[in-house]
Amino acid sequence: MLNVLRRRRGDDIQAIAKTPWWELHLKYFFIAPSLALLAVMAVFPAIMSWRMAFSRVTFKLGELEIEPIGFSNFTKAFSDNLIIGSTVRTAVWVLVVVSAEIVVGLIIAFLMSKLHSRARMVFTAALIIPLVLPPVSVGAGWLVMMDVNFGVLNYLLSLVGIEPLLWLADDRTALPSIMLIDIWQSSMFVFILMYAGILSLPQDPYEAAAIDGASPWQIFRDVTIPLLRPTFVVVLLLRTLDAARIADRMLAMTRGGPGSSTETVTLSIYKYAFIHFNFGYASALSVMFQVVLIILATFYIRRILRT
Amino acid sequence: MVGERTAPLVLSRHVLMLGVVLIVLAPVYWMLMIGLKTEAEFSQIPPTIWPQEFTLEWFEAVVGKRGFGEQIMNSIIIAAIATSIAITVGSLAAYGLSRFQLPWGLNYHILFFILTVRMFPQTVTVVPLFIFFTQVGLIDTHIGMGLVHSMLELPLAVWMMLGFFRDIPRDLEEAAMVDGDHWLGAFRKVIVPLVRPGLAATSILILIASWNEFLFALILTRTEAQTLPIAVANQITQFDILYGRMMAASAISIIPVLIFTLLVQRNLIRGLTLGGVSGA
Repeated sequence: MLNVLRRRRGDDIQAIAKTPWWELHLKYFFIAPSLALLAVMAVFPAIMSWRMAFSRVTFKLGELEIEPIGFSNFTKAFSDNLIIGSTVRTAVWVLVVVSAEIVVGLIIAFLMSKLHSRARMVFTAALIIPLVLPPVSVGAGWLVMMDVNFGVLNYLLSLVGIEPLLWLADDRTALPSIMLIDIWQSSMFVFILMYAGILSLPQDPYEAAAIDGASPWQIFRDVTIPLLRPTFVVVLLLRTLDAARIADRMLAMTRGGPGSSTETVTLSIYKYAFIHFNFGYASALSVMFQVVLIILATFYIRRILRT
Repeated sequence: MVGERTAPLVLSRHVLMLGVVLIVLAPVYWMLMIGLKTEAEFSQIPPTIWPQEFTLEWFEAVVGKRGFGEQIMNSIIIAAIATSIAITVGSLAAYGLSRFQLPWGLNYHILFFILTVRMFPQTVTVVPLFIFFTQVGLIDTHIGMGLVHSMLELPLAVWMMLGFFRDIPRDLEEAAMVDGDHWLGAFRKVIVPLVRPGLAATSILILIASWNEFLFALILTRTEAQTLPIAVANQITQFDILYGRMMAASAISIIPVLIFTLLVQRNLIRGLTLGGVSGA
């Protein structure tokens, strides 16, 4: 690399002559493996999905047949009540969990920033635990806690005089129950990002606000929140896209039931692909979903670039 | 941060946070305890906070079950393959992108592209991968699953390592090279030791992500490479659900993650925030 560096300064032509060609283009060799991995495992499959979306696909005994049929997979989707239902449900899911997680995460992060440094370390270490646990195992645990007869949650409700809930067994409470689990686990992700954001805030505006005699609430509302804007947008971007793609919790805990009350977009596509083996239709739904996610991401990323 | 603080107020904040932490951790504690209680005890009302009578029957039943040992091994092997590929390939890219300026603003475009891949819907990649893997015989294999997980976690590896490499001043390695070292020697002697904590934290995060991943493993494995989350999920959807066994299986999948997290927690937090905040 010394030779490469010298070449950039243009002061050692002899060194270049002696350098093997691959070392001159070393910079490309660093990124080539990553791009190759992504090309084979993500870009090539995505292109294939786009092709299958416009086709009738049969896949039997390793034999793949792709027969172009134009837009009919797409037109079918707009009259598919199951998909319309999952789309609305997923939108509600994203709105509820992301807003709840931002509120919870922000409150914990703000409280944390007011503690002594030793306490902060211990508490932060404890709070990231839910975040790293396997969602499926965590789901299994909540399933036991949400048991109708002897689950601890119904016991706690009975202590404050509330009738026992059916949790996952009732189509009205199933989705909110899974939301609760998601909020419990992913708020900690929001907390970590918000906490880092708060710690890196400049001190000057706070000193100015203190001189002006602002109340803690005014400082929070008029100084902290506006300064945290960039962090908010990043959190929104990452959490919205992850929440929109949710399927593993439902797949492990309820398989979309009771009825279709916990079925999300990704779960519906999964069912069309791997239960009904309708790869063409599943691909059409996937690529439409991809377009929606790209639009969402672009919207957020534009805002990030603006701030 | 600003203004006079009175001792009782500071104390009450700490007590409040302690309460928050206890509420957040209570479900984890509860899950781990159910696997240690007898059936009579975990179905009784009111429930017991601390098991009256410890039992290992659920753990024995799960561990003794045919295939469970293999599923643990599969999870370990796949996580190891995924982590070694993603960390090697990802660090190379991050190093290259932090040290060289590519033409046509490619540095920015490549980083942005890598980030977009992380936002693909899972189904857009998993359906074609299922077909492709079936045709080339990678379905239900460790290497196939390891490759998929390394692809899923590569963006994390690149973005996290980029932050760690950017923290190292260029003068350090240039000095080593002026001292007569080849770039590879400089890389090995100067860079690698400095990013070792970063490498460790990133590896652990990839390891955990692969260990936890469910959807791709469900679709792309059957028996030979079936992972632990699938085994746990199978316990849930069984016709005759056995809570004790299910919780023992969950505990076995949770405990390694807990240990890893506590071991490297400081770098882990840094990694989590780097991946997010500077990720934009």
